[in-house]
Amino acid sequence: MGPPIVGVSENIQKIKELVEHVAHTGFNIVIFGESGVGKEVIAQNLYQRSPRAGKPFVKINCAALPEGLLESELFGYERGAFTGAEQKRRGKFQLAHGGVLLLDEIGDMSLVLQAKLLHVLQSGEFAPLGSEKDLKTDTWVIAATNHDLKQDISDGKFREDLYYRLNIIKIYIAPLRERPEDILPLIDYYLDEYENQLGGSNIERPGGAVIEKLRRYHWPGNVRELQNVLKRMLVLGDCEKIADELFDSSGIKRTDQAPTSVVGSPGTFQSLLDLDGKELIDNNSFSLKAAKKKAVDKVEKEIISYVLEKTDWNRSKASKILKVSYKTLLNKIAELNITPASGNSDLP
Amino acid sequence: MGSSYKVLIIDDTEEVLSALCKYFKQKGYEVLSASNGLDGLKMIESDKDDLDIIITDLVLPNISGVAVISIVKKKYPLLPVIAITGWGEHPEALAKEAKADLVMEKPFKLPELEKAARDLLVK
Repeated sequence: MGPPIVGVSENIQKIKELVEHVAHTGFNIVIFGESGVGKEVIAQNLYQRSPRAGKPFVKINCAALPEGLLESELFGYERGAFTGAEQKRRGKFQLAHGGVLLLDEIGDMSLVLQAKLLHVLQSGEFAPLGSEKDLKTDTWVIAATNHDLKQDISDGKFREDLYYRLNIIKIYIAPLRERPEDILPLIDYYLDEYENQLGGSNIERPGGAVIEKLRRYHWPGNVRELQNVLKRMLVLGDCEKIADELFDSSGIKRTDQAPTSVVGSPGTFQSLLDLDGKELIDNNSFSLKAAKKKAVDKVEKEIISYVLEKTDWNRSKASKILKVSYKTLLNKIAELNITPASGNSDLP
Repeated sequence: MGSSYKVLIIDDTEEVLSALCKYFKQKGYEVLSASNGLDGLKMIESDKDDLDIIITDLVLPNISGVAVISIVKKKYPLLPVIAITGWGEHPEALAKEAKADLVMEKPFKLPELEKAARDLLVK
């Protein structure tokens, strides 16, 4: 049995009801939701309540593989289909026959593969690479994505016909920050779960104050982030510190506090003036231009540090996010003297 | 016309739904309405015995019109269903595969839709 759908919010209640209504139909389904909200959990629940329970449940992440590889993973290949294809290999559509195929991150699939997928969905047939024969497949396709596929259609990145073909049932899972009433039930569920796994009765469970902090956090990484935090707490102890780090580490403010701008706090303002203890009047080193440069540098430094933290100091990824060239980013890191936080100190 | 027909109309655009409901009421129908597929299906389940016809949009939240049509046609093959589709949306082929009795593309005139419904009802 996979995990149950945990939550008391209206969104989760609706999803449970929907799952009960559609699991037996075998209609194609798209599950929408941010990373970490639990799209696979919903897919597993659909599968378990369907007549296909007990048959294969096959999952593939369309974003994790390059196009050619994804194609051979999905459809399989014959021996000699391409250089290195020494053995015939069955594709996911064959492996999932009679069961469920979960296409995760469908929004990242190339247009060429989308066309092939559409063909399979329309005809129930596919041909492995290098094969002349079409194979029949009876596979229930459930797709998941964090993309706005409607937007992807307008941008020419997703086929409209495939969208309608897949989107017979649409399930939308709201991000955790929009359903804070689910945080407590999720904490209870996972604490029990992990305690069982860790098998100890002498494990320190987070206390009321910590739980309250967790409830107020806005969980950008959704349920997956919550799971990781709870695991860390049970394994490492020191729940207080771990909870506080959530709010400190990324400069993220508690949801019950008004957000303050990077340069808005009085301390920062003083540092921008940077009078070195001298008076403002008759101070030659002070100018608006110099202060402006300092402010910009400070903001740049914070933003770049933040992105680098988030990408585990993968500078190539960070440069893409920041939309600057790799070289510019390296220059900025040197110029602004950005160093990894203590956790990443092994990196240059 | 003696006893009135009972129609279920499913559309997620509020203005369209209320316009359709109003028109069919004026024409003497008993009207049920839903704004998404799940609510529509639940009404069909509870009212199947005296429901005469269903008019559904194809693109709907949660359970699409295509799914509603398939489910209805599997369980109650004789219950007529008209699919209506929005501008710039092209799931008509799917509606036909799902065996909708008729697919009408918006924009259409309300009397046209009502006439189509009546034709299916007296068949």
